[in-house]
Amino acid sequence: MAMMIPYGQRITPDDRTTTSRGLMRPRPGGRALRVAVATVLALWFALPLVPLLLWAVANRWSFPAPLPTAWGVDGLVTALEQGAAPAFGRSLLLGLAVAAIATPLGALAARALTRGIVPAPRLVSALLLAPLALPAFVAVMGLTVLLLRARVPATLAVLLLLVAAALPYTVYTMRVAYAAHDLAYEEEARTLGASRLAVLVRVHLPLVAPGLARAAFLAFLVGWSDYVVTVLVGGGSLVTLPLLVGSYAAGVGNEAIVAVLSLGAIVPPLVLLLALGRFGRRYPTARFTGPTPSRSPKGSP
Amino acid sequence: MSASLTLDSLVKVFDDPARPAVDGVSFAVAPGECLAILGPSGSGKSTVLRSIAGLDVPSAGRILVDGTDVAGLAPERRGMAMVFQRPLLFPHLSVLDNVAFAATVAGQPKREARADATQFLELVQLAGFGSRPVTALSGGQEQRVALARALAARPRVLLLDEPFSALDPQLRGDMHVLLAAIRAQLAPTVVMVTHDRDEAAVVADRVALLQRGRLLQHDTVERLYTRPDSLEVSRLMGGRNELPGTVIGGVHRSAAGGVPAPEGETWAEGSGVLVVRQEALQVAAAGASAPEGFVALAVVVADRRARGPRAELELAVITDDAPDARPDSLGSTRLLAEVPASRPLAVGDRATVLVPRSACTVVAG
Repeated sequence: MAMMIPYGQRITPDDRTTTSRGLMRPRPGGRALRVAVATVLALWFALPLVPLLLWAVANRWSFPAPLPTAWGVDGLVTALEQGAAPAFGRSLLLGLAVAAIATPLGALAARALTRGIVPAPRLVSALLLAPLALPAFVAVMGLTVLLLRARVPATLAVLLLLVAAALPYTVYTMRVAYAAHDLAYEEEARTLGASRLAVLVRVHLPLVAPGLARAAFLAFLVGWSDYVVTVLVGGGSLVTLPLLVGSYAAGVGNEAIVAVLSLGAIVPPLVLLLALGRFGRRYPTARFTGPTPSRSPKGSP
Repeated sequence: MSASLTLDSLVKVFDDPARPAVDGVSFAVAPGECLAILGPSGSGKSTVLRSIAGLDVPSAGRILVDGTDVAGLAPERRGMAMVFQRPLLFPHLSVLDNVAFAATVAGQPKREARADATQFLELVQLAGFGSRPVTALSGGQEQRVALARALAARPRVLLLDEPFSALDPQLRGDMHVLLAAIRAQLAPTVVMVTHDRDEAAVVADRVALLQRGRLLQHDTVERLYTRPDSLEVSRLMGGRNELPGTVIGGVHRSAAGGVPAPEGETWAEGSGVLVVRQEALQVAAAGASAPEGFVALAVVVADRRARGPRAELELAVITDDAPDARPDSLGSTRLLAEVPASRPLAVGDRATVLVPRSACTVVAG
């Protein structure tokens, strides 16, 4: 016997339907909560910058005073005298070099792992992620001896170690990118007459470009912000911005210099992050404003 | 633009050598012909197509294009463009640059490549869509652009891998019309993979029917339906009527009675299964006599199933063993016939089924 449900009557009661769809709808008070959380987060990130900004333009700031007691740019002048500009340049170069080496390596490893052409893929993944689990200090102490014995120049040794430290980030980021990447695009391009090189340049790289940009950004940060490896392996021969910050922060009464150097250290990552937000997004989306003579409803094939 | 294509005992083994994905498939496609490779899922039809394109390397056998073996030739040097089920339009290029892709990678200046691409957009009735991002297209439009992009590569053989399967029936129909227009204008050699019998019948000149990696029959669409080589072919093509029996003196004898071979044809003597399409059977009033070329069988309607504009009748044959039409005494010999849904035949009604001799074939059991 068929179920007797009159036409027009819904099997699911309306209120239950809306409740289930309400999963997608903000809860009452949800908006206020979101705003509150966002505000707290913004304060958490921004507050440390406030004393930093003040210290950078303070010649003197005695303890109980709420604001600097003497304004000025002595900190900036001293920082520049102590070689902040070349250190900034060396850090920049180091970060770029790490990104330039670790990004393609990470991409190659990720592509091989995603395509399943690697023997023992779990072991290889674990090894590639190992530098994250291993305290940098432990690895560096052992490797310093090895690299010194092998007479590897200090700067090159620092670079090699930082590339290894950056690999987990680039591999992971590129695995995410390749998981979403469709090899069929490349096959299609091949059948259309594109050589392997043309496929790489015209299809493969443009498609994974956002992932590459993210991976390169993370690798840059590893090189840009490293302290331990540069100190222990570089042995002071490679003076980067973090080294300068570290040495001044260890002393007393250098707050203004440390503040200036720290602010300088924020700039390149910030610029890159903004560039990533601007250029790192995927392809033009359908903002086409003209008439779209779509003959099938939106979302259907 | 069109070349001949010949497959010579193509074999492709993936993992298990005992179960090749493609097992000795041979066929030939004439220049300008459209061949449909038809088969259920996992029959190896896509592997055949990918081997032709050079995306899979065959384990054995030869693929000849205009008589030349293309083994060892990279996909981009084979001159074959492929359209997949998904449109796979490059998301970082505009619609026009997608269509101009083949010309661009061939080294043509951008302006000429785009001018050329414009013609092909017009060919697929999407003139003026060139400057759009590919995300501003509907599913049917995307597949049209994919087709234009493939045609713009001037393929010697155009390969279509279930290109219209993801479209709704109306759009699929439009694409079939478009493909027919393209074939009339450019006469490309086309090899199309599909699992849809009706699509193969509409689009293709000939059909290669595959099952479990083996070529069952390579023939015209009509012959696949009316003259299947085997019981497997008949079943894959949707044939529902199978009467096991024996051919004696050119007449097939089964529980339903004797059916002589069609004029001008002979059936092999011995046991065999008579197959006849359910669409070919005619249902007449009870007691009707057989016209020339038909065999009449007395039947009772045992079941009736709605099939949209048609109705499917299960007819129990009244044999000498069970002369009365009481349901419990009906024999197990059943025939299936399709009639217009408007025919007022109900379960239990007596009727006569007219079997056209010309629609009958005997295949090995």
